[in-house]
Amino acid sequence: MTKIGLEIHCQLTKLESKLFCSCKANYREFKPNHNICPVCMGLPGSLPRLNQKAVKSATSIAMALSCETPEKIAFFRKNYFYPDLPKNFQITQLNVYGDMSVGGEGYVRVENKKIKIRRIQLEEDPGRIIYEGASERTKITLVDYNRAGTPLVEIVTDPDFESPRQVRVFLNILSDLLENLGVAEPGLEGAMRADGNVSIEGGSKVEIKNIGSFHDLEKALHFEITRQQSLSERDIEIAQETRHWDDRRKITISSRSKEEDQDYRYFLENDIPWVKIDQNTRDTLKENMPESISSKKERYVEKFDIAPQVAEIIASDKYYSKLFENAYSDQNAKDIANLITTDVIGFIDTKEKQQNSKITSKHLSDLIDAINSKIITRNSAKIALQEIMKSGKDTKDVLQEMDLGQVSDSSEIDAIISQIFEDEKQAVIDAKKRPETVNFLVGKVMQKTKGKADPVKTLELIKSKLNG
Amino acid sequence: MVDEEEIIKVAKLMKIDLEDHSEHVSRVKKMLEYFDILDQIDLSSEEITSQLKSLDELRKDEFIPHDKRLIDSLKNFREHYVRAPKMN
Amino acid sequence: MNLNTSILKYIDDVKSGSFTVEEFISATLQRIKDIEEDVHAYLSLNDSTINDARLIDKKIASGEKIGQCYGFPISIKDNICISGTKTTCASKILENFIAPYTSTVVNRLQNEDVIITGKTNLDEFAMGLTTEFSAFGPTKNPWNLDYVPGGSSGGSAASVAANECLASLGSDTGGSVRNPASFCSVVGLKPTYGLISRYGLISYANSIEQIGPMTKTVKDSAFLLNILAGQDNNDDTTIDSNNVNYLENIEDGIEGKKIGIIKEMTTEGLSSEVSTAAKDAIGDFESLGASCEDVTLPTIPYTVAAYYTITSTEAGSNLARYDNIRYGYELESEGYEYNSYISKSRTKFGPEVTRRIILGGFVPSAGHAGKYFLKALKVKSKLISEINNAFEKFDYLIAPTAPVQPFRFGEKIDDPVTLMLLDYNTVTANLTGKPAISVPYRVINGLPIGMQIMANSLEEKSLLRSAYALESKTNLPEVPL
Repeated sequence: MTKIGLEIHCQLTKLESKLFCSCKANYREFKPNHNICPVCMGLPGSLPRLNQKAVKSATSIAMALSCETPEKIAFFRKNYFYPDLPKNFQITQLNVYGDMSVGGEGYVRVENKKIKIRRIQLEEDPGRIIYEGASERTKITLVDYNRAGTPLVEIVTDPDFESPRQVRVFLNILSDLLENLGVAEPGLEGAMRADGNVSIEGGSKVEIKNIGSFHDLEKALHFEITRQQSLSERDIEIAQETRHWDDRRKITISSRSKEEDQDYRYFLENDIPWVKIDQNTRDTLKENMPESISSKKERYVEKFDIAPQVAEIIASDKYYSKLFENAYSDQNAKDIANLITTDVIGFIDTKEKQQNSKITSKHLSDLIDAINSKIITRNSAKIALQEIMKSGKDTKDVLQEMDLGQVSDSSEIDAIISQIFEDEKQAVIDAKKRPETVNFLVGKVMQKTKGKADPVKTLELIKSKLNG
Repeated sequence: MVDEEEIIKVAKLMKIDLEDHSEHVSRVKKMLEYFDILDQIDLSSEEITSQLKSLDELRKDEFIPHDKRLIDSLKNFREHYVRAPKMN
Repeated sequence: MNLNTSILKYIDDVKSGSFTVEEFISATLQRIKDIEEDVHAYLSLNDSTINDARLIDKKIASGEKIGQCYGFPISIKDNICISGTKTTCASKILENFIAPYTSTVVNRLQNEDVIITGKTNLDEFAMGLTTEFSAFGPTKNPWNLDYVPGGSSGGSAASVAANECLASLGSDTGGSVRNPASFCSVVGLKPTYGLISRYGLISYANSIEQIGPMTKTVKDSAFLLNILAGQDNNDDTTIDSNNVNYLENIEDGIEGKKIGIIKEMTTEGLSSEVSTAAKDAIGDFESLGASCEDVTLPTIPYTVAAYYTITSTEAGSNLARYDNIRYGYELESEGYEYNSYISKSRTKFGPEVTRRIILGGFVPSAGHAGKYFLKALKVKSKLISEINNAFEKFDYLIAPTAPVQPFRFGEKIDDPVTLMLLDYNTVTANLTGKPAISVPYRVINGLPIGMQIMANSLEEKSLLRSAYALESKTNLPEVPL
């Protein structure tokens, strides 16, 4: 059986400042080497200063993943030389003197499987290396330290995944979860990275590093599984090693020499005192945590009898759940949910559109009221939504301006039906012979009324006309 | 007895070039031999502790821009990036 | 102009108009000019001292608010950053490093109108006991130019002892303020760990080091502590000083206090002169009304090994950043491969620093941490419990600061173990974080001996009181230089 484990790094870009200094956490808008200070540059005599909110955010993540959270946390130095490390050590967390990283063991449910989380830790991102020219012929390494010190949360899972597809589902769940917590923006480029380890039945564990995106991760995992399987088929032993992902050639390459001789000489980072996270703080964090996606979904299903798939869609996206939560009443919850997942989602399918849309919860509840009071048809509501999204005008005004009021007056509809019967003589004959084809005529009426005719009434009247 | 070869290996890890400084190895060896004294003390009951602070004593999360010219005052900086030697 | 004065007397004199700031600073600069070639306490001099002095005189004349320091001259150890000035740590690898920011301690002093005369010499990166490991030549002891001034803050101690300034800021990792204070006959204080901010102090062993004032008198030390102490937003390891006034009640004496004589530090390994001085000091304490009794701290014989294990581990890590990539000396990266570039740059480290870095790679490494580094950490814990126990019974713990008097250049430098053992009496205060002060006690054959007093954490006020009391019993000659 294939076993895959992950090591995910997520930047806490929703924080204002870096993990150990007051430079900006989200470095992306700066010119190279213009988001730095003596601390994140590791200048002689500088000292790290731990970001309070980073600890809280990381603890919230740990809680959201059902991880144990310790009473006190500590930081350690991981010592090695690399041009993107200003101090030539990284400040990170370890669990050698007991559990001292922000999160201990936890789990995430993926479909029906429980993926175990081993630990969660806070650490600083190194700077970014840009190679001048092709990597083999590079004469110089270029470094940008804007990213150095950006807060990272590292999430390590047990090798519980059975397929790359399962990994993908997990990463989507994790991204939604982190976004829902308001601590990260997984969509930002480079904000979430994952390394993996893979072993197939009877084979050793192989680590894969240097994977740039989730997209690449899936590719890398597929490649690696295939590579290991072909070795196994030829009775060749799969070496336990670290390989790195070559993005250009889309293959994994053994990096044996680089990793093996490394001795990180881990020891406590004494410039940062141990931090007490008492029960009070943890309780407060837990209370203030936005409701988890799964419990939201459960609530929607149980309380409002909303279909599970519909509930899942709304719960998973902060934008929709906010719309829903502010729009529903005990009577119209189901309708609002359906309106969101059938129509709103069709128009507003990107984060950008979400940001620019002018639809409010009031618009939705007004529309549902209008539908239920038979002022407009469901169809008209859809048209109205498109306009509201752009203009944000009051529902009543839009309905009036666009003349979307439902035509429910029987004589009005009757008149139109008569017209249609004139125009579609063949269809009328068909409908009399085979009743199921009557919808064609209903459709025609809707077309003629630009969707405003009351569909129920229309059908009634057509049927009686056919029979009568 | 401390292995001299190991001392040389460690020096390499610490990016210390020992070519003209082999006398360092014997001196380091002497110091390490003095440290053997640590084997003589009973430390079985000792735990490691540290300064302890509470969450609210930590730095508030604020963006405070630093002097943009910092990079100019450091060396090896040319046209935006810091220039480092090539990696293998 | 009598340069052999104290900060407090200087301030009185300026206030009363006995001389202007410019006059005193001028005389100080002349003194530096006259003797620096012999003493070599300074690595660099501040060229705006006279201007700074004039500005302060102007302020005084116009009745403007003046900082507490009234322009008294202070020197700063060259491992403490001052913006726009060279900060070399007496190392070739930082020969041209100009700090782009100012340390908190210097900031606090400058806000009180101090005048900085210059940066003083030290053992390279503060690793050493004699200042012989400076890459720019040693400092000489003003009491006898053939003898070492102690280290690593040798330049700081010598500059104060030789009247080239009225005070200095040194740094103390294993005795580096107290040891040279003892060797040069000045007062040297290492505060409780965390009391004085380390922001801007170039790290050597960050878990135990502290910046400490070096002065002519105990009261001057208290005066400086008032300005320097207290929580700093730039240093997470600092603690609140609770606005203690360290000068208040400093003359109250030590009647009825209990003093523990640390047996392990006062029996073996002392020269006969130091041993005699120690016995006399005990007699003085008793005549001041305190009761003295032997106390044993059985972990002390292991402290030097633990100290060097811990500090070399931290130094190996703290000095890793010196790869000449972001700052350093001129060496174009193009054409070099990463590892060879770094190794070549790091040949600029001196021999002692090189050795400590190698040690620092060895003792915490995966195969050896259990034997060395982890044991050293446990020695630290054990020592802390022992000394806390001792402080339940005693108010102060005393011993001579150094086991010997100053010695000739080159005498101790060849045997690493002999050199390490010079720290025997001082590392305990660093490993435990307790405050300790060296008080000049005696000069025999022209060479100084200091006495060390330790108190419990954050008990500096009480500590200074005991130091003042002892100081009042001394009658020391003036420096011959």
